[in-house]
Amino acid sequence: MPAPVLELRRLSKRFGGVTAVDGVSLALEPGRIYGLIGPNGSGKTTLFNCITGVERRDGGEVLFGGERIDGLKPWQIAQRGIGRTFQIIRVFPELTALENLLVVTRGAIEEARAHALELLRFVTLERLQGEYAGNLSYGQQKLLEFARVLMRDPALILLDEPAAGVNRTLLNDLLAAVARLRDEGKTVLLVEHDMKVVMGLCETVFVLDHGEKIAEGPPGAIQADERVIEAYFGR
Amino acid sequence: MLVAALAVYPAFGTGYGVRAMLQIFMWIALAGSWNIISGLTGYVSFGHVAFFGAGAYAGAILIAKAGWPWVLAAPAGGAAACALALVIGYPCLRLKGPYFAIAMLGLNEVLRALVSYFEGLTGGGSGLSLPTLHATVPIYYAMAGTAAAVTLLTFLIITSRFGLRLMTIREDELAAEAMGIDTARHKLYAFLLSAAGPGIAGALAARDQGYIEPISVFPLATTITMIVMALFGGKGTVWGPVFGAAVLFVAQELVWARFPYVHQLLFGAIIVAVVLLMPRGVLGILQVKYRLPRTI
Repeated sequence: MPAPVLELRRLSKRFGGVTAVDGVSLALEPGRIYGLIGPNGSGKTTLFNCITGVERRDGGEVLFGGERIDGLKPWQIAQRGIGRTFQIIRVFPELTALENLLVVTRGAIEEARAHALELLRFVTLERLQGEYAGNLSYGQQKLLEFARVLMRDPALILLDEPAAGVNRTLLNDLLAAVARLRDEGKTVLLVEHDMKVVMGLCETVFVLDHGEKIAEGPPGAIQADERVIEAYFGR
Repeated sequence: MLVAALAVYPAFGTGYGVRAMLQIFMWIALAGSWNIISGLTGYVSFGHVAFFGAGAYAGAILIAKAGWPWVLAAPAGGAAACALALVIGYPCLRLKGPYFAIAMLGLNEVLRALVSYFEGLTGGGSGLSLPTLHATVPIYYAMAGTAAAVTLLTFLIITSRFGLRLMTIREDELAAEAMGIDTARHKLYAFLLSAAGPGIAGALAARDQGYIEPISVFPLATTITMIVMALFGGKGTVWGPVFGAAVLFVAQELVWARFPYVHQLLFGAIIVAVVLLMPRGVLGILQVKYRLPRTI
């Protein structure tokens, strides 16, 4: 087994009396797509927030490329190579599509612009480069957010519900793009409610319930898992 | 053309005219500086006059007590304001939204109290007089240069990726952090840059007036005026604060001359109208409507 890109060791996060993430351990290998599923409120987004430094963990460790990153600031974690999208889109509405990508660049402006345009082409938004991001449709904003994540060429990409609210055609483009990234050797962890997406794309799926990891395995086995069925449908 | 006209104006203009122009330059420097921190990052500074006051006192003390010429005291006033911004920016810029605004308001009150307390240096509540000097015309040029420098600085910031990154803080600070932008450092830089102009303008104004006292250089009304000018012209634009300062200053003078008793009321009405009807300001609206580049 190759060295994991990301490793969580007994990660915990509490909000007052609620334990949102409860001793979760998992390891992600490079060049694979992982799914993270679970009922509403099971701690998926909180887990993302703990990995990316948006929330301070209460216990446990986060290792990225073998180094501890818990305790770093979100921007430091992003600079090390973890990119993320948000469950609720967070583009910069009063910046143009192109500017949304340019903000993360340094160095020569021509190269930065060329790189940004290349990524806009990648997500089929090139002709909207001068449009304010806030004027784009929901699906287009989602693509823009995805392209923005790729600007830093992150080794690990966290996608929070990429399929929600995106039409079928756009979704297929997005999923194809995710698969291409995997082929380039990047690791993807995605939270998704759409089971078709999870089953079609992910090689390994983690299941959270009440903050605990209750199952881990290939999609087929997860679907048949008693505890998973119970978590989703009740006894 | 405009620059040339402004350059020769003191030779032809009336005493009142030159003083009015000097005031407009001062408001351009103040509104433009407020725009750099608040218009771009969205961190609304409700105590920006503190930097003006700090520059005024630093400049006045250096002139009156240390015998510095005002041309050196003015940049020293800017440096004093930057030093103040560094000290208070570090803790205060961690505060979000209204809490930052209130902290800045508090800072201004604290400074005013401090200045009143240290009577030996500042003259306390009875103020500080500067040696007599007739330098209105040189100060006119110095203030014009300050206004031009603030506007040029704004232009350079807005057309750079540094400026875009400041805007991401206004748009969505959490997303900016997640994209790897060190927002704390960016905010601090913007804050420092926004303090220099008011500091220099404060020292120049102190020299020009020849006498300062706590209530004359730390008034909340000055902060509010610079905010309204920047909002009216268009926050986050290069020329918005210039336009807002010029138009509102002239409007204020006209209203004051004709309706001396209600001019506060009318100015208040303008504030309400701007906030309600055109939060983007005149240039902001034009920019969005006609797809103008960020260089306006």
